[in-house]
Amino acid sequence: MEISDPVPKLLLQLISSAFQRCRLAEDLCRLSLLLHQSAGNDPPITSISISDTGIGCSLVEFQDLRCPREFNGAKIWDGLLSVKTTCFSGDEVFCYHINLDEYISNKRIKRQPSQPKNGAKFSGTEVSLSVFGCIDALVAPIVTFFQKMLVLHLPNVTMDLVVEQGASPGTQTQYVFLMNGDQTPCFTASNLERLKSGLEDCVLRHGNCLEIMCEQCFSDREHLKVGSGTACPEENRKRPGGTMEVVIVISDLLETTRHCSRSCEGKTEVLYFDNFSPSPIPQVALSALKKIDWKSYGLILASANDQEGRVFLEWEHFPSYVQIQIALHWYHNKYPTTHKTEPGIDLVKKGIKSALNDLKTKHEGFLLSSHSRKICGYVPDLARSLAGLIFSSTDMDFQGDCLSVLGFQPQEAERDAVEDYIQRKIVSVIGMNESKPQKDQEAAPFLFFEGGSETSYFEDEEIEGEYYSTSLE
Amino acid sequence: MEGNFQISETTNLLRKIKEFTRSIVEDLAEGKSPEIAINRFRNYCNDPEADCFCSSDEPKGREILTLRKRSQTYRIDMLLRVLLIVQQLLQENRHGSKRDIYYMHPSAFKAQSVVDRAIADICILFQCSRYNLNVVSVGNGLVMGWLKFREAGRKFDCLSSLSTAFPVPVPVEEVEDIVSLAEYILVVEKETVFQRLANDMFCKTNRCIVVTGRGYPDVSTRRFLRLLMEKLQLPVHCLVDCDPYGFEILATYRFGSMQMAYDIESLRAPEMKWLGAFPSDSEIYGVPQQCLLPLTEEDKKRTEAMLLRCYLKREMPQWRLELESMLKRGVKFEIEALSVHSLSFLSEVYIPSKIRSEGSFH
Repeated sequence: MEISDPVPKLLLQLISSAFQRCRLAEDLCRLSLLLHQSAGNDPPITSISISDTGIGCSLVEFQDLRCPREFNGAKIWDGLLSVKTTCFSGDEVFCYHINLDEYISNKRIKRQPSQPKNGAKFSGTEVSLSVFGCIDALVAPIVTFFQKMLVLHLPNVTMDLVVEQGASPGTQTQYVFLMNGDQTPCFTASNLERLKSGLEDCVLRHGNCLEIMCEQCFSDREHLKVGSGTACPEENRKRPGGTMEVVIVISDLLETTRHCSRSCEGKTEVLYFDNFSPSPIPQVALSALKKIDWKSYGLILASANDQEGRVFLEWEHFPSYVQIQIALHWYHNKYPTTHKTEPGIDLVKKGIKSALNDLKTKHEGFLLSSHSRKICGYVPDLARSLAGLIFSSTDMDFQGDCLSVLGFQPQEAERDAVEDYIQRKIVSVIGMNESKPQKDQEAAPFLFFEGGSETSYFEDEEIEGEYYSTSLE
Repeated sequence: MEGNFQISETTNLLRKIKEFTRSIVEDLAEGKSPEIAINRFRNYCNDPEADCFCSSDEPKGREILTLRKRSQTYRIDMLLRVLLIVQQLLQENRHGSKRDIYYMHPSAFKAQSVVDRAIADICILFQCSRYNLNVVSVGNGLVMGWLKFREAGRKFDCLSSLSTAFPVPVPVEEVEDIVSLAEYILVVEKETVFQRLANDMFCKTNRCIVVTGRGYPDVSTRRFLRLLMEKLQLPVHCLVDCDPYGFEILATYRFGSMQMAYDIESLRAPEMKWLGAFPSDSEIYGVPQQCLLPLTEEDKKRTEAMLLRCYLKREMPQWRLELESMLKRGVKFEIEALSVHSLSFLSEVYIPSKIRSEGSFH
């Protein structure tokens, strides 16, 4: 018997709450999840325990949790959550039974006898429940959830999952979710900095499926181009302050990537986080993604598909060796908040555009519009001619001057290097032109008259056998 | 003197090229988008009533080339490519034709007109003539008559054989020691007419210099004519077909072409008179009906467009009346049609009588 749909959803909510308690503890914390399926029951029963060493929980967290006892006519669980919690300064561990099937609040939570701490100083929470059904259907969504949580890159939380099947010593599988040891952000890093390094890691480890960077697809972190942006709505009484943070990572894969079964197929999964928790993407964010003028960044969006909250973007004419990853994080500036809000569509767009512009600024000639890329087609030629004008000059002072201006030692400068440098400078100027307002771009091309056809005046006068120039009006 | 002048011109031009290159390099190094200002010139507008200043040689506008537009970037690309070739020509004191330049990178230039435009841009940018760039054209024109001169040390003694066609020299700036006993210069549109006059030994009986550009006149022919006019101070008459194309050629000699409006001063012949053929000549000289061809639609359109040119109304209203008359009559004819009565009619009757009666419009 499979575990029914509402259960994984409930579990993810409980894990997310545990994660938040760890996050707010501002101390090293552990979040452990134990799934145990005992043998011999029919239908099978799986006991679940979610324990964390974060701050103690508030019963308010369970106020809105709902999970029916039955689903499609089949009994799925007994509806009871067992909660034990204590805060660091408390003298005892409080115990509760919470009946999620009960709507009347004073009947919903029943306090059980507390347990003394005997002077020990610790904080934490354990939530347990039992469900009917075998364990297998639970593991995949929980693992995916943990892998996504790693993207937030919180340095103080480690997570693990233990799956036990059968009576002791039955099979036991342990999953540990750790950040890349080299890249652990410091505790003082901003949320955005953490999201950046978290998404980078996620890309290098194929969605955090691997413990280390995939060496078939990447040679080092330097191959990643990362852009980030932030957008904040105006705060007012009705709308509490929030922050939309966006990180975009674009990676050039190595040629060997075709041997790697985990490399993506040109699709981009957009990761969405709502208040430090992986979340299905809301409609406003999906609309924002569709409305971004991707073409002005040289990208053609073929489709944006919502597959049960997981959004995949597909690109047209996109090289197979490049992959794009996007993470959006919306959180309230005050936590916990009683008034949960979603970001507006313009705010999401603003955040994404800000991240794209950041990428453009950091990487010359990158994400140029198709218009600018066409202009860039002339760059090698322009650079060759300019380098030619410098190097073919017989005036050594002039040559030295130009090379110094370009930052080269005149005696040591090689033509290829100079040409490459000029190319990069021109591309950077073209990229810069793109970000300037149109008004500046068209600065009075003709001061006195509108000019007329640009080419008609320039027909050849002297081509042999041509009796009249066709342009003679 | 001529040689020294050219050397200092070359040095000056090379200096300008280096300054230009350096300014672009500086802009790029500072992360600024280079901007290249190219003046625009025109020698006429198409509004005869306009209070224009087309007769002035001053620029009539300015175009700023930047790396923001694809077409402008291509133009800068071509300009720099040609400039690199020009710098090499000047440094090595060699000459090349526009065609030579085109064939150095035919796939990049795509068409001769692209090279022509780049050369024009460079000339405008550095305020010089094409020959200053050591870019020369293949001479197309012919000359005969009462004239002697030297070009780069070579003697051109047309006087010794008055009916022999000599090529118009290229480059014209190296022409020196011009000696002439001519009374006027006759410019004829077509080589066939030029040869007719040569066969008729026109210059033996008429003390003149005859020049032809063999159709639409190239730069060398026009510059040579301008040089003769300046040095010899002789009246110049022009003989063209009585059709829109003939008139266009006449206008090009007289006013210069729009294509090279930036260098108009050395290319136009401001005192040129129109000797013929006029529309009315068909009646005066009895051109048979079968030689009068109806103007095509294209001819009419072209004529109507020419009538709008401001310089005709301002400077040559009589020419404009003749053009209107051609349009009204609806027919055209070639100059050779006048020879229907006798092969030597042009050289024996038509041209001498026109010159004597000063029948040409000033």
